[in-house]
Amino acid sequence: MPATLTATETEAQLEGGDGGFVTLPPTGDDGWDGSGPDAGLVQRYKLGVWIGMGGITMFFAALTSAMVVRQGLSGDWQPFSLPPVLYVSTLVLLVSSFAIERARREMRQARQDGLQRWVNVTSVLGLAFLACQVIGWQELVGRGIYLASNPANSFYYVLTAGHGAHLLGGIAALGYIWARTRSARAWPTREAAVEAAALYWHFLDVLWIYILGLLLFWR
Amino acid sequence: MTEVQVSEEVAEYTEVHRHPEPKSFIWKYIFSVDHKVIGIQYLMLAVAAVFVGMFLSLLVRLRLVWPEESIPLLGQLFPIGAPDGVMTPEFYLAMLTMHGTIMVFMVLTTAPQGGFGNYFLPIQIGAADMAFPRLNMLSFWSTFVSFMLLLAAFFVEGGAPWSGWTGYPPLSAVPEATVQGFGQDLWVASIAVFCIASLLGALNFIVTTLDLRAKGLTMFRMPLTCWTWFVTAILGLLAFGVLLAAGVLLLMDRNVGTSFFVPGGLVISDKQIDHSGGSPILWQHLFWFFGHPEVYIAILPGMGVTSHILSTFARKTVFGYKAMVYAVLAIGFLGFVVWGHHMFVSGMSPYSAFVFSILTMCIGVPSAIKTFNWIGTMWGGKIRFTSPMLFSIGFVSLFVTGGISGIFLGQPTIDLFFHDTYFVVAHFHLIMGVAAIFGMFAGLIFWFPKMFGRMMDERLNKIHFWMTFVGVYAIFGPMHYLGMMPHPRRYAEITSVDYLEAMGAADLHLFITAAAILTILAQFLFLFNLIKSIFKGKECRDPNPWEATTLEWTISSPPPHDNFAGKVPHVYRGAYDFSLPGTKRDFAMQCNNDEAVFGSRPASSGD
Repeated sequence: MPATLTATETEAQLEGGDGGFVTLPPTGDDGWDGSGPDAGLVQRYKLGVWIGMGGITMFFAALTSAMVVRQGLSGDWQPFSLPPVLYVSTLVLLVSSFAIERARREMRQARQDGLQRWVNVTSVLGLAFLACQVIGWQELVGRGIYLASNPANSFYYVLTAGHGAHLLGGIAALGYIWARTRSARAWPTREAAVEAAALYWHFLDVLWIYILGLLLFWR
Repeated sequence: MTEVQVSEEVAEYTEVHRHPEPKSFIWKYIFSVDHKVIGIQYLMLAVAAVFVGMFLSLLVRLRLVWPEESIPLLGQLFPIGAPDGVMTPEFYLAMLTMHGTIMVFMVLTTAPQGGFGNYFLPIQIGAADMAFPRLNMLSFWSTFVSFMLLLAAFFVEGGAPWSGWTGYPPLSAVPEATVQGFGQDLWVASIAVFCIASLLGALNFIVTTLDLRAKGLTMFRMPLTCWTWFVTAILGLLAFGVLLAAGVLLLMDRNVGTSFFVPGGLVISDKQIDHSGGSPILWQHLFWFFGHPEVYIAILPGMGVTSHILSTFARKTVFGYKAMVYAVLAIGFLGFVVWGHHMFVSGMSPYSAFVFSILTMCIGVPSAIKTFNWIGTMWGGKIRFTSPMLFSIGFVSLFVTGGISGIFLGQPTIDLFFHDTYFVVAHFHLIMGVAAIFGMFAGLIFWFPKMFGRMMDERLNKIHFWMTFVGVYAIFGPMHYLGMMPHPRRYAEITSVDYLEAMGAADLHLFITAAAILTILAQFLFLFNLIKSIFKGKECRDPNPWEATTLEWTISSPPPHDNFAGKVPHVYRGAYDFSLPGTKRDFAMQCNNDEAVFGSRPASSGD
């Protein structure tokens, strides 16, 4: 391979006056100089979550349209009453949104312990939500409402499992935040990560309300 | 002057964003988070995939022309699909399915976006890397897993799936419908993993474009390549989620007995299938809601590269830059509302068909704007006929040829006749397959000196161009005529179809196969040139051998790990300032201010 040009050589090649470049001060090994949180980074992470929400929304929009079409197609759709435990799980998830908000506040006030505590509370509430969902499935199985026995059942399982999978991703993210905040190593993207995780968590909340509404009112 | 204009904020982002250059081989070349390495990984995957896909198409062509001939090696490789080396019709369908799937997903979707986009989007917008480098690595390795899953389908019991790249149920959904079993499951799993990889990639591209542009690089100063990568990413973000949902449902129909897509009362080989009330049409709606944007995912980056290269080698600014951007946006939007034109014969209300048809015709408008502007860009220019330029002009030619047949097919009454004939095969190969691949050839040769610090052999490139250009027209031109007979697609042989024999289909097939073999040979010439040039090509010390204007040509070749060697570029002008009056040379780079371009005389900067 040919030798890499130095920046000066590059500029000289371009004969372009100042070339429109500015030299940056050198950085530490981890690329982080330990200064305060970076507003640009928070914005970038949150933008990433917003864009990701677009993709996830399309996934559930596709399932919704499939459900609506499938229901209207043939006479085999048999609606069933939702397991009551869903209302408990809904409440748990709503409370978890408050918990993650609390975690954000603790972080902004630079309280490391508070951040860790409320991130963990959110995770536990998330797991409790998933447990409720599993109880809901078990109840349906007990009533003979199996995954494949009717399209109405199939969509119930697919939508709840799809949401649950995304929530598991959220819990994994919270676990990662907890692990990183415990470590002594500097973590330049901490604020961005917490902000992004909180945004994602609220999205899961809204998504669940949507799915619950769909299951309730589009039977 | 510049010192003042770069704010602390920009300096800060570069600080935080820069990741140290890894030392070990594994972290530098295998699990790299460097967008340039990942770009090359995507390109290598695509090159591997394109040769597999091409080999499969060769088998397809051989089966069509010599259905009874034995190919001994094939018998050893696939004892069930090709006993004694003679391909069974089912094996033919499997080759067809895998050819389509590999080419569409692993080549046309990965190389233009994951390959070139990954390598050059951050550099062209003046960033040190993608917005989320680790996510980028995850995208590539998920794509790799997806490719492996797909290839594994060849080697499981029952062999590769043969329900077509569109995977229409019930053939794809009912294992009893075909002898195959696990191969189809692997196919669906591969597509699902690919969807996730592409969604992550799309997210990264969008955030990178919106958030990491250098100071002064407004959206309307971006190179058209960046615009097309950006819009392609939006299409991917909105389309792949839908395919993922469809794939999950299909996998459930196959494995847990749900009835999303399988209709009730289906009897296969005197056996009642235990499903009720599902709809194969539902799959088609979901699939094509993804499938049509997918066409633009494949072709839009090619349009961007073509615009970029035509301008560079015509030494003229892009004719109607903003119109080009709006045309790309319009094509992207319209791509989501025309999926029904793939389903005119599936059973559809004539009113729906009418709406889909009108919307399909509408795509002709932005497409025509683009074509007009490409010609306008070249018109009166001081054209340099380098091989990237030849491939770009070839792209325009193929885009027009393939596009015109699209206007035929977009009309329900005509489509009723042409549906599932070779006319369709000719249409989509020219516009989606070959045109997009010409865009890749153009891009690869154009950016080769930047990526490897060496030039490709121009003479071999030109031979390769002419063989390929003539070759693809020789292959797909006659297919239009076959389609008019009408010759149905997907038939493994035509020996007993009287009207096709009477109309000379066999001779045409022989001609097409001969052309295909010659065209394939030309691709080995390109591969030879590529590999030879990477290691032994003429060294290119000049960072800007083509005298181009965009930021990648300001840095050394290959670029340093953090792209701009610890500097932050500042952009002063649009991407295509060629032949400005009153300048000492015929191009002005994006990072040159007016003083640098015009000397002391102030002038307005091109936007």
